[in-house]
Amino acid sequence: MESITERHIQNGYVQILIMAVVASCTIILGLFAMGIGSSEQLDQLSTLKIILGISEPDSLQSDIIWHLRFPRILMAITCGVALATAGALMQGCLGNPLVSPLTLGVASGASLGAALAIVLGLQVIDFLEPFLSNLPGPLSNLDFESIGIVANAFFFSLIVVVIIIQLGKMRSISPESYILVGIAITFICGAIVSTIQYFASDAEISQLTHWSFGSLSRPDLGQTMWIAALIICLMPYAIIFAWDLNSMALGGDDFAISTGVDPQATRVTILVLSAGMTSIVIAFTGLIGFVGLAAPHMTRLIIGNDYRKLLPCSAVSGAFLVLIADTIGRTIVAPIIIPVGVMLSVIGGPFFMYLLLANKGVSH
Amino acid sequence: MNSILEAKNLSFSWGNKQVFSGVGFDIQPNQIVAIVGVNGAGKSTLLKCLNRILVPSTGSISINSEEVSTMPILELAKQVSYVPQSVSTSFPLDVYDVVMLGRRPYISWRISDEDREFVSNTISLFDLEDFAFRRFDQLSGGERQRVIIAKAVAQNPSLFLFDEPTSDLDLKNQIIVMKSIRKLVDNKDNNCSALIAIHDLNTAARFADSILMLHEGEMKAFGSPEIVFTEENISEVFGVTSDLISSNDGAPMRIHVLDIPNDESAGN
Repeated sequence: MESITERHIQNGYVQILIMAVVASCTIILGLFAMGIGSSEQLDQLSTLKIILGISEPDSLQSDIIWHLRFPRILMAITCGVALATAGALMQGCLGNPLVSPLTLGVASGASLGAALAIVLGLQVIDFLEPFLSNLPGPLSNLDFESIGIVANAFFFSLIVVVIIIQLGKMRSISPESYILVGIAITFICGAIVSTIQYFASDAEISQLTHWSFGSLSRPDLGQTMWIAALIICLMPYAIIFAWDLNSMALGGDDFAISTGVDPQATRVTILVLSAGMTSIVIAFTGLIGFVGLAAPHMTRLIIGNDYRKLLPCSAVSGAFLVLIADTIGRTIVAPIIIPVGVMLSVIGGPFFMYLLLANKGVSH
Repeated sequence: MNSILEAKNLSFSWGNKQVFSGVGFDIQPNQIVAIVGVNGAGKSTLLKCLNRILVPSTGSISINSEEVSTMPILELAKQVSYVPQSVSTSFPLDVYDVVMLGRRPYISWRISDEDREFVSNTISLFDLEDFAFRRFDQLSGGERQRVIIAKAVAQNPSLFLFDEPTSDLDLKNQIIVMKSIRKLVDNKDNNCSALIAIHDLNTAARFADSILMLHEGEMKAFGSPEIVFTEENISEVFGVTSDLISSNDGAPMRIHVLDIPNDESAGN
């Protein structure tokens, strides 16, 4: 009989293999999605040839592939990675399976920022413009009109991050307090947004509603590259906390301290990190909620709760989930594109419930 | 020989409410010390102060002659491991990985072969091989308690702190767990000791070398079971009359709890 040491090592290999399979599926799906769209000149084969550099694209084809489809697909992957990782981080450090990246009120802050920009024309970027335009480098060339809503959404979600940091300075604040404060922030922002909507014109309400659907097509290629680069840089920082999260998620604060983890300090760092990742993405995409709750849980069902594997696997499965939802969303009633936030809940919801219930059937 | 633990003049309060004060004692290597007292006497609080889960208001604690309050938390985790009364979780790991958490203070990221060997041996020691790859939440209370103790052992500390380790267990599991703690502490290769908060005086008398009795925020008595468990002490601290059978022929002393004196609850 194999020893338990060998079996533990083997289990690790199996989990890495599962992760590799999901990652490969995501890449294949990404390539496939590059070939899907309403343009008649680009079928799967010719798109693949262009991507692989076998055939030379004309300028229209090149535009469609590199300025429409590629940013969208990259954004889908980045968004899935960021939100799923943030969800897994938050669930672990608050020890609560109901938590998602939107629980702490980051999204509500972003909504408030968007509403202020769209309806009242109050834009943070207007105040920053005189400073930014004097700076050298890419910041001075920003198109301030186009990023007004994004900057507002980001700024107001950062206010929520600051509140989290301030909470963390209070002694003996419990994980539940973070969640309750998050719910309070959600209500407050929701009330202000409703008030603003009450005075808004039909066109403004329509724009605001559209913002809240969540869409991957808003950021352009340059912005998408920046977002992706930022998220990639933050990922290793998230994974460093895997051991601490294992300890905190398993036994709570007292247990974590006994294994050499400072739960208060770790929790604040993790919450700020995950709220930051969430803000970066949803400022550009609008509200995409479900993946942050569902992707970590789906991954837990397949690979278990060990954060050393859970974090990278959640990231990969989040990317897969958003990509498949978006691909279906833009093909199912083409040429109309159904927003990815809606598609995620419509497809992901029943699948998530099926996985949860099927798993319960096995374990009991 | 140097003490494993020296605690001097400890006090702790929640806001204005003083839980205990003036508590001082030391623990020698290969000893079990049991803390007894009524509910709310501060048994768990005292344990948590020793592990810096709570910070005492006054006093000093040193472990192997090192001051606890200034020790880095990772270093402290190599010296002391704390076993809570029970662990319930929304995110269970496999048993093997729970025990591996005991190696957390020694691991930066990658698990070394030595760590794995240590964990596998600890799992065998506690007879948990059959459960090694079962999920923690699918085990019974007694099995979970053994897993958490195994995790504490994997930490390889000098001092174990147990918070009522037998309170959720049936009779057989109580003995299994207490015997495994005794065996652990008696192992002369390790020179470790244990401090156990416990309600059952007979279990304390049977397994502990010394008893620390807490009463109304103070240390009522500290010493061997025969010295601490007198009819007067038990009556004063627990409010019950008792009959003591002293130890002989290797059998531990027994405490027969009789009744509540001047029983008001009887209504006559």
